[in-house]
Amino acid sequence: MPNAILDPTGRAPAPEATPAAAPRAARRPDLTGARVGLLENTKQNAALLLQEVATLLVAEHGAAGVVLMRTKQAFALPAPAELVAEYADACDVVVTGVGDCGSCSASAVADGVLLEAAGVPAAVICSDAFVATADAMAALRGAPGYRYVTTEHPVAVLTPQQVQERAEHVVAGVVALLTEARP
Amino acid sequence: MTEPDPDAAQAAIEHCYDQGWSDGLPLVPASRPLVDRFLATVDRPADEVIGVLPQLDRTVTVELAAINAAMAGCRPEYFPVVLATWEALVRERSTGGGGWQSTSGPAPLIVVNGPVRDELGFNRAGGAFGPGFRANATVARAIGLIVRNVYGIHPHVLEQATQGLPGRWSICIAENEEESPWEPLSAEGGIPAGTSAVSATLLRTCEFVDNRHTGSAEQLLTDFADTISRTGAWIFRHASVGIVFCPEHAQLLAGAGFGRAQVRTWLVEHCGRTVSDLARAGKDGLGDNGVRHASGERPEGFDRLLPSADRENLLIAVAGARNAGISMVVRLFSGWSGAAVPVPARAAAALEEVRP
Repeated sequence: MPNAILDPTGRAPAPEATPAAAPRAARRPDLTGARVGLLENTKQNAALLLQEVATLLVAEHGAAGVVLMRTKQAFALPAPAELVAEYADACDVVVTGVGDCGSCSASAVADGVLLEAAGVPAAVICSDAFVATADAMAALRGAPGYRYVTTEHPVAVLTPQQVQERAEHVVAGVVALLTEARP
Repeated sequence: MTEPDPDAAQAAIEHCYDQGWSDGLPLVPASRPLVDRFLATVDRPADEVIGVLPQLDRTVTVELAAINAAMAGCRPEYFPVVLATWEALVRERSTGGGGWQSTSGPAPLIVVNGPVRDELGFNRAGGAFGPGFRANATVARAIGLIVRNVYGIHPHVLEQATQGLPGRWSICIAENEEESPWEPLSAEGGIPAGTSAVSATLLRTCEFVDNRHTGSAEQLLTDFADTISRTGAWIFRHASVGIVFCPEHAQLLAGAGFGRAQVRTWLVEHCGRTVSDLARAGKDGLGDNGVRHASGERPEGFDRLLPSADRENLLIAVAGARNAGISMVVRLFSGWSGAAVPVPARAAAALEEVRP
């Protein structure tokens, strides 16, 4: 018998994906009176896009206002547990992003999964150029098929006016993610 | 001894491709006896954890590093250098964050110092950036295979390089200590000269400076400052770089009284661009998040590129042949740890054991 060829990965082959394995926070029927949290990741225009989305959530969907806005210290890494807990305590819903690079798109999705597990509905906004890595991270985090909102790439070079238009474009998707009972 | 069986070898190579393990080139299929010869070169438990990416839930062990080094084409006796290289890279902040997944597709820059260069046949002279030398080529490749296979960071999925860069998993140079006027790079990193060691960081590209035109240290450094200061490579408030000097340039500078520290001090003062230059490229604005942006509102001034004259912001090594004034500016992905990692001297017995 010849020697076996050794596997260099250290992992068993991935099992078949089981959708909806990850916990998902309970949804409210609408955003009336909802306390909004924004978690921005330092990417150019991310803070502005989140603020513009929040403005629309308040003006057009009855949200109470932004009660917490923080900047991730390490955009490439998932948010630390304390930060997730702080959002879960203070907010009814969270909008986060913008996934606009190789690692931050993946980590934004990881944040969404963590926030859901902590009991707060989350909407992740990700550039449409990073769907593959966002989906891969969702699967790694036990949430294959995790849904997020995409916006056309690029985001970093948009003018403030264009960012506002983007917000108008994505807000319906954000509301749907935060309120729909089923994914 | 029986003749090698090319058909069996080819079938094994194809098997490795089919599993998705390859970086595109053929792999050496790793067997238990081969990997055991790698493990025999180091005094480390096979299950010792040497790297973790918690965000991906992935863990590198000595055993997995050995399998990937074997697959990369390393000889067993290279393995202590692979482990030292890996440890040097783990010390880089960027490799624990998003470095391996980045759109910039950064490459490890690996610099080997000390007697291990000659013991294992690392090239330090002509063609220092390769190719052509098994030790240089396969140690660098081993790192790429660990990232791909153990961290599971594959192109188009968790690895999002926009274009990548030539030589991403092949930049391993040995320092030309013999023709360098300065102490070994590893000595700056805290390892005594004469002890084998590896320094490593991530880089975004290499750009040559060809200056066979002047005997003036200031004119030569001015040529480097121009390449270092181009706006295209500059994205944050400051940037860090490295220079791999050819012996001729290093000796010219040393002859004019420049040590590494003096080179750094000179370049910190002279590398940078006027605010109006930066504004023309849309990179004059300095926001809170540290990323440059188009502003057009700053008064004229001079922005220095390097944040400081610390070695962490300007790595200086010497490699290549002494046959021309051609050096390489290397663009660091972020700062460099400034550390060197020793390569443990191998027990003679282990050496005998791994030699077939």
